[in-house]
Amino acid sequence: MNQKPAIELSGLRKTFGRITAVDGIDLTVGAGEVVALLGPNGAGKSTTIDLALGLAHPTAGTALLFGVDPRTAIRHGRVGAMLQGGALLPTMTVAQSVGLIAAAHKHPLSVTEALHRARCTEIAGQRVSRLSGGQMQRARFAVAIVSNPDLLILDEPTAAMDVEARRTFWQSMREFTDAGRTVVFATHYLDEADAYADRIVMLSAGRIVADGTPNEVKAVVSGRRIRANLPVAWTPALEAEVAALPGVRSLERRGERVTIVSGDSDAALRAFLGRFADAHDIEVTAHNMDDAFLALTEAFRPGASDPEASERSGATRAPEGARA
Amino acid sequence: MSIAYIGLESWRQLKNLRTFIFTFAIPLLMLLIFGSAYGSAGAIDKVTGLPWIVVTTVQMAGYGGMMAALGQAFNIVTERSLGWNRQLRITPLSGTAYLFSKVVAALATAAVTIVALIVISVLSFHVDLSFAGWAMAAIGLWAGVIPFALIAVLIGQFAKPTFAQPLFMVVFFGMAIVGGLWVPLQILPDWVSNVAQVVPSYWLNRLGQMGAHLSGDIVQPLLVLLGWTVALATFIVWRYRRDAARS
Repeated sequence: MNQKPAIELSGLRKTFGRITAVDGIDLTVGAGEVVALLGPNGAGKSTTIDLALGLAHPTAGTALLFGVDPRTAIRHGRVGAMLQGGALLPTMTVAQSVGLIAAAHKHPLSVTEALHRARCTEIAGQRVSRLSGGQMQRARFAVAIVSNPDLLILDEPTAAMDVEARRTFWQSMREFTDAGRTVVFATHYLDEADAYADRIVMLSAGRIVADGTPNEVKAVVSGRRIRANLPVAWTPALEAEVAALPGVRSLERRGERVTIVSGDSDAALRAFLGRFADAHDIEVTAHNMDDAFLALTEAFRPGASDPEASERSGATRAPEGARA
Repeated sequence: MSIAYIGLESWRQLKNLRTFIFTFAIPLLMLLIFGSAYGSAGAIDKVTGLPWIVVTTVQMAGYGGMMAALGQAFNIVTERSLGWNRQLRITPLSGTAYLFSKVVAALATAAVTIVALIVISVLSFHVDLSFAGWAMAAIGLWAGVIPFALIAVLIGQFAKPTFAQPLFMVVFFGMAIVGGLWVPLQILPDWVSNVAQVVPSYWLNRLGQMGAHLSGDIVQPLLVLLGWTVALATFIVWRYRRDAARS
C-alpha cells in the first residue's frame, strides 16, 4: 500500500442547473481512517460520493483516490462501494450477483469468501427479489467487498435495517476496517457516526461545516437549550453577562424570554439561577441534530448579521482547531 | 475488457428460460401452423426456388432471432433503472464493455433461437434440404441479426422504462412487416418492396434464403448490413460519450 491519501478532494463543486449540490469541498482521508459523512438529506453527501468515485464530473475542483483519478483506482480494484440507487438484479441469487461482479474484477476474492465476510452465507442461494431490507444491504456489502478493496465507500449502508441487522452489519464492517483499510460512510445518524467512525465530517448545504473526532463534533452537535422568563430590564451589558456564564455557548432573547444554548446545561443552569433567582418557567430541552445542522448552516451564511452568528461559527471552528 | 464478465453475462441470459419462452413461442407457433397447413405438400416457392417450408422456416427463425436480439433492450432499460450498471461502474468494466456484453448476449440468445427453430422444423416436417444448406441459412440469419443487437442497445440507452415497450413494438412490427418476415413482400404494395431494400430485416431474411440455397450475391446484403452496423455503432458511442460527459 502506498502512502498517498485514500481520498483527496480539493475545491470540489457540483451544480445542477441553478442548484448547487456541492459547494467547495476540501477533504483528505488518510489510509486506514474510518470517516463518517454526517448530514441531513440534501446536504450533498451522495453527490460528494459520486464525485469522489468519478461517477459524476465536478463543475470545479478535483477528486483523487490513492493519488490517481477515481476511474484508474477503480480499475485497479482498490475501491468498493455501496451506492444509493445502486441495486442488484431481482432475478439473480445473492451468490450469482456477487459472482457476476467478481467476474468484472481482475483479482477478486472468491465468492464464498466475500459472502462469508458479509454474513451472507445463509442467504447465498436466495433470489434478490426475496430479500428483506437488511439482507439486501448485506448482499450489497458482499458485492462491494468482492474486489477486496483498500477503500470502501458506503452511502447510507444501514438505511432500511432494523437494530439487529444494523449491529450485524457493523460487526462485519469492523472486521473489514480492523485489517487497516479505509472506510467512508454517509449517514444521518449521529449515534452511528459516533460509534463506528474515527472522524466525523459534517456536511450541510454542500459544505463541510465541522470536521473532527466524534467527541469534538458531538460537542457542537449535542448540548441543550435552556429557556426561561426573566423579568428584568435587559441591556446589552446584561446579555453579555449571561453569555459569559459557565457552560453558556450562545444566547437569544425575545422580550423577557431568554434561550441559552449550552454545552453543559447543569453548570449553566446552576450559574444562571445563582445569578437570577427570579427566573421562572424554566425549560431544559435536548439540542437535537436538526438544531445543530441549522445552527451550523446559518453560521456559514455569508454576511449573517445577527450577533449569534459569530458565536455559532466560533463553536463550529472549535473542532477543526482542535484537530489541527 | 473482461472476457469473464461477458461470458458469464451471456450464460446467465441463456439460462433465463422465461425470456426465451417469450421470444420463442410466437415464431414457433407460426412455424407449426404454416408448416402443417402448407409445408408437407412439398410446394416450391416461385420467387426463391426453395421449398415453401424452407422459406417459412427461414422467415420464422429470422423473426425469432430478431426478437431475441431486440429483447436485450429490456434488459438494458431494466438494469439502468434499477441501478445495476451504477454498481458496475465501481468495477474495471468499462461502459463500452458493458454495452459489448449486451451485444454478445443478444447474439448468443439469437443463435440459440435460430438453431432451435430450424431443428424443430427439420424434425417436424422432414424438410428436404442438405445439412450445409441449413447450416449456411443459420449463419446467414445470425449475421443478419447483428444490426438488431445494436438497435437493442440503442433503445436500451435511450428509453425510459415506460417508453421501452412502445418503442420496441414500433421497431419490431415495422421491421417484421417491411422486411417481409410475416407476409411475403410480393403481396404487399410495390413501395414496401422498395423500402425493404434498405431495411436490415429484409436482408436478414434474404441472407437466410441465400444460405439455404448455398448461392446468391452476398455483396449487397453485406454492404447494407455493414452500413447499418457502422451507423448504429457510431450513434451508440456518440450517445454513450454524451451521457458520460453530462453526468
